[in-house]
Amino acid sequence: MAKPPPITNRIRELREQNGPMSQAALAEAIGVTRQTIIAIELGKYSPSLESAFRIARVFETDVESVFGWQGPPAG
Amino acid sequence: MSFREKTAWAMALILIAGAIFYFDKVVRITDAIGRTAPPIIGLVIAYVVVIVIASVTAMIALSVFSPREADAPADEREERILDKAGHWSGYVLAVPLLGALWHFAVNGDGNMLFHLIFLALMLGQIAEYTFQIILFRRGA
Repeated sequence: MAKPPPITNRIRELREQNGPMSQAALAEAIGVTRQTIIAIELGKYSPSLESAFRIARVFETDVESVFGWQGPPAG
Repeated sequence: MSFREKTAWAMALILIAGAIFYFDKVVRITDAIGRTAPPIIGLVIAYVVVIVIASVTAMIALSVFSPREADAPADEREERILDKAGHWSGYVLAVPLLGALWHFAVNGDGNMLFHLIFLALMLGQIAEYTFQIILFRRGA
């Protein structure tokens, strides 16, 4: 089993606060499949920087309000 | 299940069925003549034609049910999965190819070399779709 990426996210929570917005609608808004949104929400896939910004823009917030880091500190 | 995962399932099943069809014939001919069957170009052509027709039919059928997904390019996660699966399947292709070369070096059976190389190509393709399915199921 692959180790999950050390990145947390609040996408589900933000979707519920915004509508609620469906996974399909968010996927459509940022140009990925619904399965990719599911994988990101479950922490199985870390999105690219571009997609991270696109997700943040959909929720009219900044990237750090959507994504967090739970791995060891750098350096 | 995403459109690309469905196509991976369809292609894996088609290729497995094609490999069974092809090698069933080769084994039967080998048994009948008492030595390794020679390359049968007609059978290879039949295999390729059946695979192409079955693949196109399956893709059309899947596209009819998901026209928007079929039209959309692979997203970043799907592209990563396709790249990884292609990379890993290269190893699956290489191992039986080396086995085929070793077998030829030891036994000098050119007919068997042909069939083993064809088998390696089939296994490489089946492995690529199998890895895609595993990665799609796993998330990334």
